[in-house]
Amino acid sequence: MILSLLIFLPLLGSLVVALLPDNQGATFRWIALLITLADVALAAVTYVSFDTTLAGYQLVEQVNWITLPLGGLGVASIDYLVGIDGISMPLVVLSAVVMLVGVVASWQLTHRLKAYYALYLLLTGTIMGCFVALDFFLFFLFFEFMLLPMYFLIGLWGGARREYASIKFFLYTLLGSLLILLVMISLYLSVMDPVSTAVLAGLINNPAEATADVIRSVQTYLQNGQLNPGQIVHTFDMRYLADGGNYLPGAFLNPAAEPIILGLPARLLAFWVIFIGFAIKLPIVPVHTWLPDAHVEASTPVSVVLAGVLLKIGGYGFLRIVWDFFPDGAAEYAKILAGLGVLSIVYGGLNALAQSDIKKMIAYSSVSHMGFVLLGVASLTAEGVNGAIYQMVSHGVLSAMLFLIAGVLYDRTHDRRIDSYRGLMQPMPQYTVLTAIAFFASLGLPGFSGFVGELFTLMGGFQSAWLPGWLTALATTGILLAAAYFLWTLQRMFFGPYWSRHEATTVLNDLTFREKILLIPLGAMALGLGLFPNLIFNLSGATVAQWLVKFAVE
Amino acid sequence: MPVDTFQLLHLLTAALLGLPFAGFLVLVLASRRVSGVLAILLTTTGLALSVLLALKLPEQGVSIQANWATLSGISFPIRFSVDALAVLMLVVVHFVALLVQIYSISYLHDEPKLSRYFAYLQLFIGAMLGIVLAGNLLVMYAFWELVGLASYLLIGFYTERPAASKAAQKAFLMNRVGDIGFLIGIFLTYYYYGTLDLVLLTAKGGTVVIPTALGLCLFMGCVGKSAQFPLLTWLPDAMEGPTPVSALLHAATMVAAGIFLLARIHPLLSPDALMVIALVGTITTVWGGFSALFQTDIKKVLAFSTVSQLGLMVAAMGTGHVQGAMFHLLTHACFKAGLFLSAGAVIHAVHTQDMRLMGGLRRSLPTTFLAYTACAAALVGLPFFSGFLSKETILNGAFSWAGEHDNFLTYIVPVSLLLSSALTALYMARQWRLIFFGQYRNELIPASQAHEPDWLMRGPVVLLAIFSVGFWFSINPLSAHGSWFFRVFPLMEEITFWWMAPLSIGLVLVGGWLGFQMQDPRPDSSVVQLSLRYGFLDFFYQYLVIKPTIRLASLLNRTDHRVVDGLVDGFGVSVVVLAHIIRVVDKLGLDGFVNRIAWLVGRLGRLTRSVQNGRIQSYITAAVVGLLVVLWWIL
Repeated sequence: MILSLLIFLPLLGSLVVALLPDNQGATFRWIALLITLADVALAAVTYVSFDTTLAGYQLVEQVNWITLPLGGLGVASIDYLVGIDGISMPLVVLSAVVMLVGVVASWQLTHRLKAYYALYLLLTGTIMGCFVALDFFLFFLFFEFMLLPMYFLIGLWGGARREYASIKFFLYTLLGSLLILLVMISLYLSVMDPVSTAVLAGLINNPAEATADVIRSVQTYLQNGQLNPGQIVHTFDMRYLADGGNYLPGAFLNPAAEPIILGLPARLLAFWVIFIGFAIKLPIVPVHTWLPDAHVEASTPVSVVLAGVLLKIGGYGFLRIVWDFFPDGAAEYAKILAGLGVLSIVYGGLNALAQSDIKKMIAYSSVSHMGFVLLGVASLTAEGVNGAIYQMVSHGVLSAMLFLIAGVLYDRTHDRRIDSYRGLMQPMPQYTVLTAIAFFASLGLPGFSGFVGELFTLMGGFQSAWLPGWLTALATTGILLAAAYFLWTLQRMFFGPYWSRHEATTVLNDLTFREKILLIPLGAMALGLGLFPNLIFNLSGATVAQWLVKFAVE
Repeated sequence: MPVDTFQLLHLLTAALLGLPFAGFLVLVLASRRVSGVLAILLTTTGLALSVLLALKLPEQGVSIQANWATLSGISFPIRFSVDALAVLMLVVVHFVALLVQIYSISYLHDEPKLSRYFAYLQLFIGAMLGIVLAGNLLVMYAFWELVGLASYLLIGFYTERPAASKAAQKAFLMNRVGDIGFLIGIFLTYYYYGTLDLVLLTAKGGTVVIPTALGLCLFMGCVGKSAQFPLLTWLPDAMEGPTPVSALLHAATMVAAGIFLLARIHPLLSPDALMVIALVGTITTVWGGFSALFQTDIKKVLAFSTVSQLGLMVAAMGTGHVQGAMFHLLTHACFKAGLFLSAGAVIHAVHTQDMRLMGGLRRSLPTTFLAYTACAAALVGLPFFSGFLSKETILNGAFSWAGEHDNFLTYIVPVSLLLSSALTALYMARQWRLIFFGQYRNELIPASQAHEPDWLMRGPVVLLAIFSVGFWFSINPLSAHGSWFFRVFPLMEEITFWWMAPLSIGLVLVGGWLGFQMQDPRPDSSVVQLSLRYGFLDFFYQYLVIKPTIRLASLLNRTDHRVVDGLVDGFGVSVVVLAHIIRVVDKLGLDGFVNRIAWLVGRLGRLTRSVQNGRIQSYITAAVVGLLVVLWWIL
């Protein structure tokens, strides 16, 4: 129930906002604030009631949605199925918090409020849906519906080149979804739901009787061809998609009987297709170029949501879908995948060093930091995978803070160029202190969260039996680059005698109350997570241990 | 030992670590008037606790542990432990830090951001204590980075001065280069040994074959923090910070951390790694000594002498004499802090750091002159002073180490160390002469204005000078063998070459005499330039590291914009173009086709219209024929 509330409360809010008359400016804000606050409360309740010792899904809600007998093609079934485990739990909490931050950061917005908040709440609900959906079809539905509000949020409330950026964002992500859709359908055609199939085949009377033994015998029947094709229930249930025993013999994506396409076994090809689908979202070099444009053109709160939450769906998709459904591909290509992660780390870092726009610098630093996520996941070690989940949460908090910091300056002068400012410490001391905290936290200073994520993803890389040491060693240069671009920015913009290109026209006031209540708690969160990393690792530990069983090296 | 004593010791350890961090938080918010007193109170308490801990320390040490991170059952604890080495460092750090802070109250009495200054100092102390007390490498790395942060804040303390913030940035980045090596070393250690706990590692260190790369990676951390070749150029720039900070940074915190790290990881260093370490130390000693030779900035001479002395300690580590290196760290902490604080008194008096504008100051600054002389004597290693004892230990150790190797080339190390002690005497005597002897050369500020500082500044200087005398460390002024230090930290072997003391004293005297007499060559001569610019190391970095990196970055940025994004945009544009082509084709071709069909249908219609002539029998005929055709089709 609670997970559905997390999704449908914002969706309902979106509907309410859409139905209210146009001129209710302040009301929309308060509705959005209340609903995102309620989501934070719900996420907190979920967090408290989450059993950290369980590896599997919890708080599962299942409602049969569509069942369609297709004669000889078996039975199609789509469920409304939600639940969480140690991988999604941290991200649900992160999303709730970042969405709340986004609402507060949007507070001074003045035009087209109704549309803005309706879309924003729609986005909130669909993001939550993405993280808790356990039916692939349902996930895809949320995934697609997330795209739509984001497109408008960038395109209508963004900067000068917002239309270009939003179209680019839209097409990129649409391409990603298309790739995901392709594989999703292939998976669907290749996998049965053992429980429903057992019921249909008359092995048991109702799903409640399905024990592990029953499932095993159904799988045996399936593999031996003893099941009537008309009795096989096809499914999008992620729990079944992740189990190799459920793949139909001779099916397109069956690990045993692999057709060769373009010189590659179909499964491995499918792995790459769906990998790229999610890699666009993370993003991974070279499919990252939507990100700098989208970030630079999006308004501050939209950037915060984009970096804080949306990128995480890429990493989440890796863990939940790509690696879990295609462990063979993930193991086969571990080196290349980690190599792509390292490429993102170094390439993103070097690009960040070359930026003259502070928001673009932060955007490229995101590319670099998300590279650690891929490296950690590809390492297939407990350190790396837990570290990757942690890194996602940490980056969610820190990138939100960084984009807010860029927004502070943009709000005052509408100029994001680094060389337009010098010695900002003089007029804005509090701003300088919080920026320094965010920068040092992001460049991996121990005590803050950035350090923990990088430490463990890198440690995973070194521990991994799949990866050569030099690859991870190369990734450590990312830490050096991060120190270089953050400190250089700090030195150029904040230290030295005060000067600004807008000195004559604009007085640079220090932080307002609203900016402080956003930045200080985020900084405190980064510190809290850095000092007590078990806040995340306790959640993820059991699930990751279970997740890794597939990759155990004999 | 009763349980409550143990609890007391645990509490003591936690308090020692907690005090400076609590101090940092309080002082950031404190008013500037109380900040100094508060900071001194904190550090005095810390010193008292350290002494208490030293007296009460049980043989097996004290250890406190907490769980930090557990990843799917793999746990990474935080452990702090106190052993004899840690206690020694605790006392040194607190002692020097206390004197520096007392001195700072007077030296920085006009500073508006004074409370922040003391807050940063507390952070610096706390981070250093964390390194000292760290029970595993991960904890050590965490505090290692915090030392980096504190040094960044203090070196760049005068934020409005661009040179200061640049120096701070340089220090942090250069340290980070070393730290990355350190971090990789930690990962390798974890990979090979499955633990990062220093006690467990020490126990395992001797039993397994140690990869040389592991040791060298860990050593990288020391290269950065202790300003070893080639990462030494941040240290002279770090002079941009307030002078008392330099004293602290060069004596007890920061640079000492690298030496301490080597002492801790010594069992993890393979013979090959140790050889490299010895060589790096030797190069650094000579490089630093030579660079100090013709500097004109009073603090820069001292900075390079620190580089040189750190090289000596590292070389001692490399030659396997941990105790000798630590002994030198101890004596060096006192006399180098004394030298920097004396230099501060001189700068305070003449308002310049340029030694060419000083001269003859022994008359107006007699106390400072005496203190400076004592500390400098200790640095060059004159008998009866502390530096002599520790340097002799290291040189004896290095010569016996070289003797153990078959290859006579290993003698390069001890011989270079020995000769560089003459170099030390040379540049120190030159500095001594430039500051205190000859004629006063500054025309802007009359000599009569130069006066001794108040006792808040003079006290610490005098105290440190007193501790530069050898008596405190060994009753026998010519040998460290009977020293209390080596009773606590016994030397593995005690070889004393009979010729060592006379030879090194002779070299020091010759070097000193030369330094006192010689005139500097012309400033534009190549040897002076080479020394002033410390072997053009920064030029090397500027042109071979920094600029290429920035160029690569902007190249990649352009690539990203034009090629990667260009492909995407090109793809988008080509789709649009294709769409237009299809539209044209559609219009002319397909649409034409459809039109053609419509036309055809029209013609057919006209044709069939003739059939619809209204006659019923024609309809029936047509219907029957049609039905037959349909039936034929279906069947």
